[in-house]
Formats: sequence, C-alpha cells, structure tokens
Amino acid sequence: MPHILFANLPYLLQAAGVTLLLSVVCTVLAALIGIVAALAQSFGGWPTRGVALLYLYLMRGTPLIVMLFAAFYLLPYAGIDVDATTGGVMMVSLYFGAFMGEVFRGALASVPRGQWDAGRALGMHGTWLMRIVVVPQALRLAGPPFVNTCIMLVKSTSLVSVIGLWELTLAGREVVERTLAPFQVFGGIAAIYFVMCYGLALCGRMLERRVPHAQ
Amino acid sequence: MMLRAVPVLLGGLLVTLELAGLAIVASLAWGLVIVLGRLSRFLPLAWLCAGYVQLVRNTPVLVQMYFFYFGFAMVGLRLSGFVAGLLALVLQNGGYVAEIYRAGIATVGRQQREAGLALGMRPLEALRIVVFPQALRLVLPPLANQFVTIVKDTALVSTLSVADMMFWARRLIDRTAAAYEIFADLTLLYLLLTATIAVLMRAAEWRLRVAD
Repeated sequence: MPHILFANLPYLLQAAGVTLLLSVVCTVLAALIGIVAALAQSFGGWPTRGVALLYLYLMRGTPLIVMLFAAFYLLPYAGIDVDATTGGVMMVSLYFGAFMGEVFRGALASVPRGQWDAGRALGMHGTWLMRIVVVPQALRLAGPPFVNTCIMLVKSTSLVSVIGLWELTLAGREVVERTLAPFQVFGGIAAIYFVMCYGLALCGRMLERRVPHAQ
Repeated sequence: MMLRAVPVLLGGLLVTLELAGLAIVASLAWGLVIVLGRLSRFLPLAWLCAGYVQLVRNTPVLVQMYFFYFGFAMVGLRLSGFVAGLLALVLQNGGYVAEIYRAGIATVGRQQREAGLALGMRPLEALRIVVFPQALRLVLPPLANQFVTIVKDTALVSTLSVADMMFWARRLIDRTAAAYEIFADLTLLYLLLTATIAVLMRAAEWRLRVAD
C-alpha cells in the first residue's frame, strides 16, 4: 500500500540529509552561544548579565516561528540580504542558544560550592579552577538536559520550511502536492524524524552510562 | 506610534488564547489517561502508552499538524486548521504532560501509596487521595514550562491558515510593510502571554507550598 512513499523515499532521504546537516550545524552554534550566555550570566557584571537575561527571556518567551519570520522580513529592511539557509541557521542557533544557556548555567550552578572552595584552597583560580574542577563536573550534569535540547532542536528544524529552506518537511510538502498522499508521506517523514530523535535519545542514555559518576 | 499594530493583532490574540486554553486543558486530561495506562499492571497497555509517549515526543508537532490537516482532508473528513492544530498540540503535549506526571508520582514514592493501601484504600483511591495531592506540588514547575511551550507552539497553526496572532502579523506586513513595528508588537504580546503563565503558575506553587 505505501508504494507512493517508497517511490519518493530517495528524495525524502536526501532531504533528511539536509535536516541532519542543519541540526548538526545549529547544535554546534547553539552550544557555543549557550556557553557564552551561561558564562555571561554566571560571571558577568550587571550590564553583561542584563543583556544576557534580556536575550534569554526574549528567545524563551516567543515562538521560534515568529523569530524566523522576523529574520525573513526584517533583515532585508535593514539592508542585509540573507538567503533562507543563512537566516534559518542563524535564527535556530540563536533561539536554541538560549535554551543551551539555561542548560549550562543550571549545570554550573549545580556544582557544589564546596568544590569551588576546595579548588581555591589548593591555590587554583580563574580559568584554571574552571578547567580542572568545575567544568568536568558541570559537563556530566549537563548531559541529559543537553540531549533533550538537541532533540527539541532537531524537531524544530522542521519550522525553517516555512521560510523556504529546503529540508525534510518542505520536501514532504512538495511530494504531497505532487502525489496527494498526505498520510503516507507525512507519516513517513514523522518516522524519519523519529529515527533521528530516538537515536539521539539512545545515544544520550548510552553516554550517560559510559561516563562514570564522580562521587 | 509603536503600538499601532496591536489592535489588529488583538483579534488574533483571541484565537491564540482559545487554542492555547483548549490545548492546555485537554493535554492535562489526555496526559492523565496516558500516565494511568503507563502505570497499569496490564503490561501490553503499559507498553502501548510508553510507545505512544516516545512516538509523539520524537516527532515534530508541525509534521503532526500537516498529517492531520492534509491527511484527513484527503480521505474526505475535512478538519479545520483549528481542529487539526488542536489535535496535534494535544497529542504531542499530552505525551510530555504524562511524563511530567510520571516523574511527580515516582518522586512521591511507593511507600506513600502502600501506606494508603494499608489503610484499606483501593489502588485508585490511594492514588487520588494520597499520591496526587503530593505530586501536584512537584509537577507545577515543569507544567508551567510545558504551558509556555504550548502557547508558543500555537503560532504554528498560522501555517494552516488559522487566523491567530502570527497570521494577522504576516497579513499586516504584506499590506503595510511596517515590519519592525509589527514584529515588535507581536513579540511583546507573546512575551506578555508567556510571562503571565509563568507568574500565575508561580502563584499557584506558592499557594500549594507546605512548611517543610
């Protein structure tokens, strides 16, 4: 019965490749932005912290689709001409940078005070203390919420289809327009997303078991 | 000057509120059904519900919306964009809410339930009288996050031609080209909505606090 889906599978898998690439690039960028946001919020003076907070609340309180359209409509007015790919990647990264920022900030805050004090008592300070004592422990704590945020990000890349970036969801709409088989095609697409996201979840769980807990 | 777009967007705000309100209430109820199934001792039902949760949590809500909107139209059962969007929001967020409930119930612990059973309560009674009131306090903060997510996800129905805030904003931009103003107002209204939820939920949490 699902012959239409199978006939279009190569096309959809090609688009799934784009979604995968998009997800990887956005995850890396979002993680970098998140690290900066977390550091700014944890260690910055009040102006830095204010800017970081404004960014976090703005992104976490508005829908991603609004932000995507904002990039799509506003940047051309400002004389900046970006294509859908650049705009989409930029906005998804910025949006999830805020969520990553919360993940990292939470992880930093969860490293017990005593660990910092112990490091200082041993004469460590600054980046040295962070690198040897705090960050390794924080990374362990950040693992599970980081994976959850990655899954959210992969799912959210489907939204860039509305500004015309060709990826899995947009390819699906094209195929549906051609074949008029929405159940098969969107069902198949959902299955492809499921494989990616569930795979990510399984990897996360494996990683969690691999990394020994410091106690 | 800056808020000129607000009156037009307010019409869409009603649709957004209606959709978000219905989705929140229905997700709370659907999540309860799913978590009761998951905790059932009848294993096939428990597996089915666990599988359902994984399925909806690992697929994009936008694709689910397209699935219902375009899919049912093709087999002759035309759902409006509003209904298709609501359906997708409830199915997806019901799965998340079920996980939140489950974590809350697990944190309250088995002993509490067993204490209830020891007092002669039936299993569902022990859940209702002993476990749920304690779990309620624990699930409020994650539920608040989920409600914010629901409100934000309602903006996706604009792709199904539902006339919510996002939809009117795009209409307005196409007509007036006052993009900065319109996006500023739109963002402001969404921030107002999500902040209201955060404040209300914090107040509920405070009301339900116990002196530890």
